[in-house]
Amino acid sequence: MATKEGTGTAQPRRDAMGTVLAALNKLASTEVLDRFGLRKPVERGLYEATRSGFTAVGAASRTFASATKQSKPKRLPSAPERGLFDLTPDEEQGMIRETVVEFAAEQIRPIAADADAKCEAPQGLLSQIQELGVTLVGVPEELGGLGTERSAVTNVLVAEALAHGDMGLAVACLAPSAVSTALVQWGDETQQSTYLPAFVGDNVPAAALTIQEPTPLFDPFKLKTKAYRTAGGFVIEGVKSLVPRANQAELFIVAADLDGRGPALFLVESGSAGVTVESEPAMGLRAAGMGRLRLDKVALPATALLGGGKADVFAECVRLSRIGWCALALGTGQAVLDYVIPYVNDRVAFGEPISHRQSVAFMVANIGIELEGMRLLTYKAASRAEQGKPYAREAALARKLCADKGMLIGNDGVQLLGGHGFVKEHPVERWYRDLRAIGLVEGIVLV
Amino acid sequence: MPNIVVLVKQVPDTYSERRLSDSDHTLDRDSADAVLDEINERAVEEALLIKEAQGGEVTVLSVGPDRATEAIRKALSMGADKAVHVSDPALHGSCVIQTSKVIAAAVGKVDGVDLVIAGNEATDGRSGAVPAILAELLGYPQLTHARKVVIEGTTIKVTRETDEGLTHLEASLPAVVSVGEKINEPRYPSFKGIMAAKKKPVETLTVADLGIDAGEVGLASATSTVVEAAPKPPRAAGQKVEDEGDGGAKIAEYLVGQKLI
Repeated sequence: MATKEGTGTAQPRRDAMGTVLAALNKLASTEVLDRFGLRKPVERGLYEATRSGFTAVGAASRTFASATKQSKPKRLPSAPERGLFDLTPDEEQGMIRETVVEFAAEQIRPIAADADAKCEAPQGLLSQIQELGVTLVGVPEELGGLGTERSAVTNVLVAEALAHGDMGLAVACLAPSAVSTALVQWGDETQQSTYLPAFVGDNVPAAALTIQEPTPLFDPFKLKTKAYRTAGGFVIEGVKSLVPRANQAELFIVAADLDGRGPALFLVESGSAGVTVESEPAMGLRAAGMGRLRLDKVALPATALLGGGKADVFAECVRLSRIGWCALALGTGQAVLDYVIPYVNDRVAFGEPISHRQSVAFMVANIGIELEGMRLLTYKAASRAEQGKPYAREAALARKLCADKGMLIGNDGVQLLGGHGFVKEHPVERWYRDLRAIGLVEGIVLV
Repeated sequence: MPNIVVLVKQVPDTYSERRLSDSDHTLDRDSADAVLDEINERAVEEALLIKEAQGGEVTVLSVGPDRATEAIRKALSMGADKAVHVSDPALHGSCVIQTSKVIAAAVGKVDGVDLVIAGNEATDGRSGAVPAILAELLGYPQLTHARKVVIEGTTIKVTRETDEGLTHLEASLPAVVSVGEKINEPRYPSFKGIMAAKKKPVETLTVADLGIDAGEVGLASATSTVVEAAPKPPRAAGQKVEDEGDGGAKIAEYLVGQKLI
């Protein structure tokens, strides 16, 4: 039963709410709306009406249309070779990190608990992030961005700094950048000129790179979401899980098995017929507004295939995303360390600070040591990736270490606070829940 | 379209341990992280707000060692247009009057200045005197401790806030304004601003470039020197009043004893 549900073939049983929603969905997919130009207001209404425990058609999507024709796609060149492995951020990276660190401390950390409870990132924060220009770094100058070269290391520094504020909100903030980065890396000239202008404009669309499926022992290289070639393009079908800001996303990049030959990436606009989203709050990353994306025989144009469906494109996507998750683990892991050090020094038990106990002091020291190891591996993987060197091994090592130690650090953070760790007054329980995601999540972020 | 000069200063981070060097009691710059003084961020923000509303140009002016370029870069990344950096080893240990003379000369290097904006007091020296001395040297009106600044044509109106209360000031441009904590909330530099900052012009000047003799500045000819420095004694523990039903009376007794009531 569980596996059947996992594939998304089983229809959810309908209660009263479901019946109403089904009717609403039917209304949403009628052509009448299009004919009278009513689609946007009506769909927004639908979404608001069904927000609590929603199942709704994908967010009303803007019209993405290729504006100016490019002769060929624009890619960012590799970063210059750095010779000796050098971890010193350059001046710009340093200033970017400093700005994001400050931003995360002042704007993200204070609202994190609330966003976690509400399972939603506040719109104000998302527009602030957009004003900062987080998405622009990965888009070439010719396409309206700021990038002059690949910037995996900068992206890692940004993700790390944001996750020091809160991992769930960091994911919500970074989700659109993953889609724009994928378009820069693998999009052809039509795809770039159709979608990228929106990502460098004043109103960056919510967007999500989604690989994850609700399957036990999920393997990103064996996907249950299937795509088949048709006369006009493709038909795609399946269920995607842990999709950030699912109810707002206007554009998805969906990983699906193409003609039974292996995984490929597809551009799916949320307005396409057969696209529905439903909320799927998880244990952690709740502020990212996670949802499930159902693709019910969605017809896609031939131009929807990203990167020509090449196997190495997909493998690279998975690797770059895993480096992104490592960066998030670093930020939240560091947050744990920065929180427990003053705590164990101030907390007095048996007449002295608990940090005088070796069992406490060693645990804190180990967090510091593991964190530095995680950081070195992650930076190294990102640095090799942006220089165009092979980085499969480094990415895998970083992922393994960050998944294992990230989880351990989350656990130790709770443990070190004793009973205080268990309650929601302290953020360590949230960090524990978030850090458990590192080892199991695929996609969503990209460096 | 006012032409604005913002004075910025790099100071040791308030969160780090700040020290004076043992030999000459000047600031030990190596012992602490250096940052753009927070009040200067507000000064830059105010200049940018005026520029965004009325046009004009914002020039950042800093006097400090080579390392102060970091503070200048930060101000430029927020959106200032260009910078003047006076850097000279001869300036080491300068007093407020010497510093103000140097700043006045450097302001003279910027064409057609309408407004000079400074923070009211740096977090390191805390003399809080430079804006006033500078106004005197430049012959400009001084409008200090501003919590609100309005420019209408060639008139500037300032709401001045001190411990005594609010004062409403008005003067004609050019003028010197110093801003207080409540003036605004400074923006975060955008990534675009950060990337653009390195392309913005920074003019580096020595005291000789300003037509000032090196002997007139620096510790040797300073009008004031630090004779001694000692850390603040830790605060003594307060007096605890146990409330055994008569807590209020005891507190009143104490206050009467201190002649407070």
